Amino acid sequence: MWAYLVTGIAVFALMVLVGLAMRMEQAHWVTYDPGSFYAMMTLHGSGMIVALALCGMGGLWFIMDRERPMDQGLAWSAYALIVLGVVAVILSVFPGHFGAAWTFLFPLPFVGATWPNWATGTFLIGVALVMLGWTIFCAQLLGCVLSKYGGLRGAMGWDLVFHHDAFVASGRPEPPPAAFAALITAVDGLFAAAGGMLVGVALIIHWLDPSVAIDPLWAKNLTYLFGHTFANLTIYMAIAFVYVALPRYAQREWHTSAVLAIAWWGTLLFVATAYFHHLYMDFVQPRGVQYIGEVASYLAAFPPAVVTIFGGALLIYRSRMRWTMSSMFMYAGLIGWLIGGVGALIDATIPVNVSLHNTLWVPAHFHTYLLEGVTLFVFGWIFADLEVRTGVVSSLATRWIAGLGIFGGGAVLLLGWYVAGAASVPRRYAEEPAPGPAIAAWASVGAILLIAGLIVCLIEAVRLARTRSAAATP
Amino acid sequence: MNGASPVLIGFLVAAAAILVVMAAIARTTIEPPETQAVVTSAGYQLRKGWLWALAAAAVVALAISLPSFPYGKSATLTGQHFTVIASQYSFELPPVVPAGKNIVFDVTSKDVNHGFGIYDERGHLIAQVQAMPDYVNHLPLRFSVKGHYVVRCLEYCGIAHAAMQGAFEVR
Ligand code: HEM
Ligand SMILES: [Cu+2]
Repeated sequence: MWAYLVTGIAVFALMVLVGLAMRMEQAHWVTYDPGSFYAMMTLHGSGMIVALALCGMGGLWFIMDRERPMDQGLAWSAYALIVLGVVAVILSVFPGHFGAAWTFLFPLPFVGATWPNWATGTFLIGVALVMLGWTIFCAQLLGCVLSKYGGLRGAMGWDLVFHHDAFVASGRPEPPPAAFAALITAVDGLFAAAGGMLVGVALIIHWLDPSVAIDPLWAKNLTYLFGHTFANLTIYMAIAFVYVALPRYAQREWHTSAVLAIAWWGTLLFVATAYFHHLYMDFVQPRGVQYIGEVASYLAAFPPAVVTIFGGALLIYRSRMRWTMSSMFMYAGLIGWLIGGVGALIDATIPVNVSLHNTLWVPAHFHTYLLEGVTLFVFGWIFADLEVRTGVVSSLATRWIAGLGIFGGGAVLLLGWYVAGAASVPRRYAEEPAPGPAIAAWASVGAILLIAGLIVCLIEAVRLARTRSAAATP
Repeated sequence: MNGASPVLIGFLVAAAAILVVMAAIARTTIEPPETQAVVTSAGYQLRKGWLWALAAAAVVALAISLPSFPYGKSATLTGQHFTVIASQYSFELPPVVPAGKNIVFDVTSKDVNHGFGIYDERGHLIAQVQAMPDYVNHLPLRFSVKGHYVVRCLEYCGIAHAAMQGAFEVR
């Protein structure tokens, strides 16, 4: 589904510029009113998550469709719902000025609003449409995986783990690693969507009839269940790209082992339970749940650290690796994922969270694995396709320039958030206390270098795509 | 410098170590290649050790962090109570709280979710709790240092979120 990927990249490109405009405002390079800042923050947060999700969905659809063809009509209707939702969200922010953040934490969308009532409804309906499209996509993906690999038992690799020899002897196909990414995305995705729909519909009802009461703690739990899980799944979708493409460049195989299957069972469980760490500072939350939050957050790190990233490193080690734009991004993405994960684990430790919760440490760590992880997997995937079709590999100079911008500029941008977070500067401040603005200034320089690298990448991708069409015409 | 600096330094050291190791692995691709079977059998051996090392690290981190959880036991919630009420965009705070005694902040909100973040004179965030409508969060504390403390809102609450501040004295 190229439409998913192309739309995702287009939204991504717009949101990068919105991000830069925000960082420059925090640096006092440009000034505008806080209402616009928060409207842009709302747009950037929701837009980026949906952009990466769209890219992941497009790629995953393509990978699984080769395993077992899926229905185009369903995929298009999911796509249409999501695009409709994105348009509604954009309208709510521009011109609507809706600014309750992409987390729309109840009752913020309704109390003290500086935007018209219609904008609130449009935003909520937009989010609901995105979730609906996402639900259809997940259901379709689940159907594909289950029918291809013999139900849940086969797709989970149950027999592979518990009846290993009999399974191998039976000659039944084992699900490839990417199928685990698809299965876990579908199951956790449906779970997240159910939670999101519940709170989303509750808020829409409240919007229609303000006398309908909603419990703020209930809403907060569901909001983060949805937001955390959905955002995390963008990573796990994109991992499928690495599973498929990296072995081609390393000229080795990445196959399913019992350990890989077990790791994905862990991910299934811990991605959906780690969200409690978003409520560490809600002391009314049941105590046991706080412990679960810390334990699940730690455990969520095991599958990537022990299986996927470790496995990726092993795949590369003393292989006949061909370093290209694609493989460079894939490998760098594993590094970004790991480093961002370390930042997350630090913050998931409750006594440390006391001094980092809702500081800039939070955007620091999630931008690390979204920007220098998921985004790179997506770019790697797109370049893998271009390189295969054209047989052309970008020059070393191009790779250096793109790499310096994206990794070097990115590191400066990210360091700004880490340093400011450690210095207790709050997140989501249009006007930051010192040393925020000074740090924001050099972070903005980093962001500009990063964007320059992205532009080089874009030009190179277009160049390759045109080579392809030139090669195709006789 | 800041109270969170050890955290930052620890993170930077870990990040640097990851970069060095991953770069070293990437560099092995210019060496004469090795078959995958040989690499994986050695790698799986290494992976066992890595798994146990991570598990040990996780257990140690849990054990160290557990006693410092900020929630307090019912025994620590018996000190003098002070009410904190957040609303868009200000805090109702006690002007003075005592030093060297167990106290409890009873924190709530009149409208939307806010955060009650306490900053000491060096600008370090030393404690925080959410201020949520319909609920009261009890934050047990004991101030050992007297002085002027600034309160900042640490949950996005609307257009003037960044300007939402308060202050109190510890004497
Ligand atoms: C050039 C690249 C980027 C820049 C300059 C940028 C900038 C920013 C800034 C300034 C904030 C507000 C931070 C704060 O003060 O709280 C932010 C928040 C955010 N960004 Fe980015 N960003 C970039 C890329 C990305 C990417 C690739 C993603 C994910 C796919 C992303 C997702 C988010 C999210 C989810 C938020 C949270 C919004 C909220 O707090 O409600 N950003 N970004
Ligand atoms: Cu606030």
